[in-house]
Amino acid sequence: MMRSLPRVLGAFAALVTLAAGVSACATSAPAAGGNGSQFVIGYSQSNNAEPYRAQLNLQLQYFVKKYPDLKLDPITDAHQDSGVQVSQVQNFIQEHVNVLIVSPNEPAPLTAAVEQACAAGIPVIILDRTVNTDCYSSFIGGDNYAIGKLAGQAAVQALPNGGTVAELRGILSDQPQIDRDRGFRDGIAGHNITIAFQQEAKWLRANATTIMNQWLSSGQRIDLVYGQNDEMALGAYNAAQGAGRAGQMKFIGTDGLAIPTGGIRAVELGQLYTTFVYPTCAEQAAATAEAIVHKQNVQKKQTLSTVQVTTANAPQLYSQYDMSGKVSG
Amino acid sequence: MTETTRTTDPANKGRVEPPVANGGPKTTKERLARMLPALGSLQGYIGLVLVVLIGIITKGQIFWNQTNLTNAITAFASRGILAVGVTLVILTGGIDLSVGSVLGIGSMTAAMLLTHLNLTPWLIVPLCALVGAFFGLCNGIGTTWLRIQSFVMTLAMLSVVRGIDRQVSDNVAVGTQLTDAQGHLTGQAAAFAKLGTPGHNLLRGNWLPLFGQVGIGYPVIALVVVCVVFQLVLSKTRFGRHVYAVGGNPTAAKLSGVNVTAVTIAVFALSGLLAGFAGPIDAAYSASADPLAGTSYELDAIAAAVIGGTSLAGGKGTVTGTFVGALILTLLDNVLGLNQISDNLQLITKGLIVVLAVVIQRPDFFRSLVSGARRLRRGRNLKSTVDKQKAEGAPQ
Amino acid sequence: MRSVSKSFPGVRALRDVGLTVHVGEVVALLGENGAGKSTLMNILAGVHADYEGGIEIDGQPVFIHSPKDAARHGIAMIHQELNLVPELSIADNVFLGREPRTPRGTIDRGVMRARTAELLGQLGLRVPPRTLVRDCGIAERQLVEVAKALNLNLRLLVMDEPTSALADSEVHRLFAVIRELTARGVGVIYISHRLAELAEIADSVTVLRDGGYVGERAMAETTAAELVAMMVGRPLGELFPRAPEQRSTGPVWLAVRGLATTPKPGSGVRALRGLDFQVRSGEIVGLAGLMGAGRTEVLEAIYGACGAVDGELTLGGRHYRPSRPRRAIRRGVALVAEDRKAKSLVLDNTVRFNTTLVALDRYVRPWRTVDRRAERLAVAAKIGELRVKTPSQTALVRNLSGGNQQKVVLAKCLLAGPSLLLLDEPTRGIDVGAKAEIHALMNSLAEQGTAIVVVSSELPELIGMCDRILVLCEGRLTGEFHRDTGNGSAFDQEGILTAAMAREAA
Repeated sequence: MMRSLPRVLGAFAALVTLAAGVSACATSAPAAGGNGSQFVIGYSQSNNAEPYRAQLNLQLQYFVKKYPDLKLDPITDAHQDSGVQVSQVQNFIQEHVNVLIVSPNEPAPLTAAVEQACAAGIPVIILDRTVNTDCYSSFIGGDNYAIGKLAGQAAVQALPNGGTVAELRGILSDQPQIDRDRGFRDGIAGHNITIAFQQEAKWLRANATTIMNQWLSSGQRIDLVYGQNDEMALGAYNAAQGAGRAGQMKFIGTDGLAIPTGGIRAVELGQLYTTFVYPTCAEQAAATAEAIVHKQNVQKKQTLSTVQVTTANAPQLYSQYDMSGKVSG
Repeated sequence: MTETTRTTDPANKGRVEPPVANGGPKTTKERLARMLPALGSLQGYIGLVLVVLIGIITKGQIFWNQTNLTNAITAFASRGILAVGVTLVILTGGIDLSVGSVLGIGSMTAAMLLTHLNLTPWLIVPLCALVGAFFGLCNGIGTTWLRIQSFVMTLAMLSVVRGIDRQVSDNVAVGTQLTDAQGHLTGQAAAFAKLGTPGHNLLRGNWLPLFGQVGIGYPVIALVVVCVVFQLVLSKTRFGRHVYAVGGNPTAAKLSGVNVTAVTIAVFALSGLLAGFAGPIDAAYSASADPLAGTSYELDAIAAAVIGGTSLAGGKGTVTGTFVGALILTLLDNVLGLNQISDNLQLITKGLIVVLAVVIQRPDFFRSLVSGARRLRRGRNLKSTVDKQKAEGAPQ
Repeated sequence: MRSVSKSFPGVRALRDVGLTVHVGEVVALLGENGAGKSTLMNILAGVHADYEGGIEIDGQPVFIHSPKDAARHGIAMIHQELNLVPELSIADNVFLGREPRTPRGTIDRGVMRARTAELLGQLGLRVPPRTLVRDCGIAERQLVEVAKALNLNLRLLVMDEPTSALADSEVHRLFAVIRELTARGVGVIYISHRLAELAEIADSVTVLRDGGYVGERAMAETTAAELVAMMVGRPLGELFPRAPEQRSTGPVWLAVRGLATTPKPGSGVRALRGLDFQVRSGEIVGLAGLMGAGRTEVLEAIYGACGAVDGELTLGGRHYRPSRPRRAIRRGVALVAEDRKAKSLVLDNTVRFNTTLVALDRYVRPWRTVDRRAERLAVAAKIGELRVKTPSQTALVRNLSGGNQQKVVLAKCLLAGPSLLLLDEPTRGIDVGAKAEIHALMNSLAEQGTAIVVVSSELPELIGMCDRILVLCEGRLTGEFHRDTGNGSAFDQEGILTAAMAREAA
């Protein structure tokens, strides 16, 4: 039963007042962190449940530990929800952490939250994806366009006489997808290589397998499969392997994670022709945070280069990036 | 009683008499009509036939060959199995949103049992099913004893189970292709691959004309077996009757001596069991258990059930229908993919086809089409005669 | 309205039916269940868009293909199952779909409440318009429906069995409202099975049978016997076919001592307070009382439908503790519930499915599969015996008429072979012919030794059928009347009514 409109509005107004009061109390509370010799770092992760980000979390914990005067708060997980991430960033602001690190889920929604941190005098480090404001201390990220272009050049190398390529794309609206796709196309341009198939597999292995099966059914020749991440490249490999045609084509991935199901191991096993390590930025983030708390100057934009994984360097890269056993708790 | 006066009453001529005492079917038509319920609504097949025809017309042999069809169904098999469990729950008037998450934890359990304990699939599959059944049981207990609406209860379970899944896996995918020092799959890993990794089909060889050299994947066999078993359970057993009774009218079921609580708990447990059972298939298909595996599969499963003619109000629907619904969804996906329809157009087409399939499979679809046309025509005729009468009457 | 035809997949159909209503006239529409009354009325109200034939108002042909069309022509229908939204207030219901707006675009509740209060005042209903319909009694809800109809430019009001759930005093109030309406020139089509009521309220009567038109009579010039003959197509024998003598020689089958329940407060269920009574094998015991006296609650308590109860019960000489229907069924108790659609039938399933729902265990083979051949034979025998009119065993129960639905419920209960049969309003809303058949069935069951407890709001029915009548008021037994005067006070309509109103002093 609907109550009369004025009463509803009245109740709503009361609620708003109450909420405002509570938040006012919270902001006036004494700031935590910064006391003693330790500096508190808050890290807002957009989604733990992506292998790349899970790896990033582990590495950040590992590298922060190397600086005894830094302390990492529990990492928050926004579950791919920008709204959730905004409120998690605001919680860190309430807490007055000394440095805030953010991996934005999307640029636009997080911009305001980062500006709030800025206004509260908290230095912000942005990882991997940008926000639409300048008031951060440092941006650290890889260059997806460059990685895509390198993948394209690797394809040219793998197909010296040209050929047909199938491209498995991430979620079409994701910025890394857009950049890697553009880079790849620029990389293969002018080398008699055509993209015969392309479809969105949403970064997922199972989707890639299904789509690859359809492509194999079509009977058209495929010389090389480019997966915008290793998961999709490996999904396609599974399908081709199942059809007994894995030997007839090459697979290129991206990300190069040092986990058992990741790309480095797959290159080592000969499943992938090559892959590219997308830097997790964790090491640089920890170093930048240390520099900020000691009032040293930091670079506004740090672009990290990639490493191409080949059968030759795969074992060494794996042990370098492998975090298992290095981070406890 | 006054039977004699009644049966000789001329007004009763042409009325339908009570069925003859032996109750048996008299004509082929009746016999056929008796078999129909087991096949679901015949119109449900129209959508399937349409999709297949479109596939054959646009792609011919590329669509209509064993490899492609097996691949297409394999890709959907785990969701098809979820759809069977969801159908059971929907038939009792409930809903199960947690099946995607339960499938996820089933696949994670399978991968972990394989990698850590090196168990044989013969143990892994039942264990995963049990894990799923446990969460299903929790759903059933929540909806009955705690009287939580199934939508809310299973929505909460969706979140809880996904959380557990991500916690135990530490957000890292677990691979199932374990290799020995020489780079060959270990014995159990090779056996596990038979559960659905592409290229590990069973029943290869020319001895069965239907499967031919390609063979058929375990996921497809599992889906078909699950469908047949549960269609028989629903149509032939006392439990099946009780499922329909609870969904059709819970009060009447209770007053007729049906143990509504037990039936409700049982369908949720079965739904969880099937989701857990589908977990290893999903893990084998992508050769790894992803912590996000099965996300939003529940929507595909519910869509398959609804396309297959299951009423969300409960009491109406068959597993056969759900199987047809699952086939429509997966083959549609396949046809669109083979035709290289752009991704955004695929989304639009799929949504429209779902609506169309649901409308077509209504029992009165064709009748209302015909009568609607007739009414339109007659209404126009009548109106014109009225107008004529008015025109003629005006001068007076 | 003339010459209307309509076809249905089930049994119901109309053939060349005509009906004329004059301004300010009450036309009674009479016919057995399944004769086509409701179908005809639904066409008039625009529920069935697909029919042949024409409708004229004031000599002008009109097209009624939707409820909106009907409303535009001032036709309103009050269904047997009322069409109100229980969670909305009376005013909201009266204005449902036609809410007045303020200039700002919000709903103008002030206008709605004022107008509703005015309408309710005209109908003599003193209830605030803000009251939720959920909190209204059935009679009040009916008047709310009338108010809703009046709020339109009402010219023709169709009432389908409006009195089937009303107490006598409420019926009289409804009749007063109808007279008020006709005085204002509204035509009324009145559907009822109660011939006595028709004599009081109707001006003329039109009879249908099996979807066809039988005839029209002026009410003053016809007799109940003639109308029944027209409806049934044959002269009806004695309405209550039982032998006059008492039949209570059998052993005591059900003995109840101190039966009491404590329902949840606010559930609207009457608490029973210490009932003592017995039912013998082969005896038909009636439960009389006003609405809400606790009659249904007695049957459901014995059946275990509302959980555990207090009191000592013995059944067939053995101790019996009601707790759940399954246990009752196992002990040979069967219940024909009051509201067959809500409590007894799975409407969207088949006749066979419904008939064997209770006794399914009898047709179960190993692995708990159903022996469908045995089931089919048993259903065929039972629906033949009860003469259920259905195209086949696989017809949906929804498509059967009310009387045949009730017979399916009876078949379901009887298939389990009960030794104690609990009947709650077994003949409500069904036609004269089916009523007589059900009465004959009760009789023959009693003769075979079944103990029967029957609840009915129609006193003549109880007096005609029962060996004993127990009267309830506010959850207590307030009277006992015997067919055989040797055992106590004899049946006496006035005495029973007095006992039914023997409220305790507050």
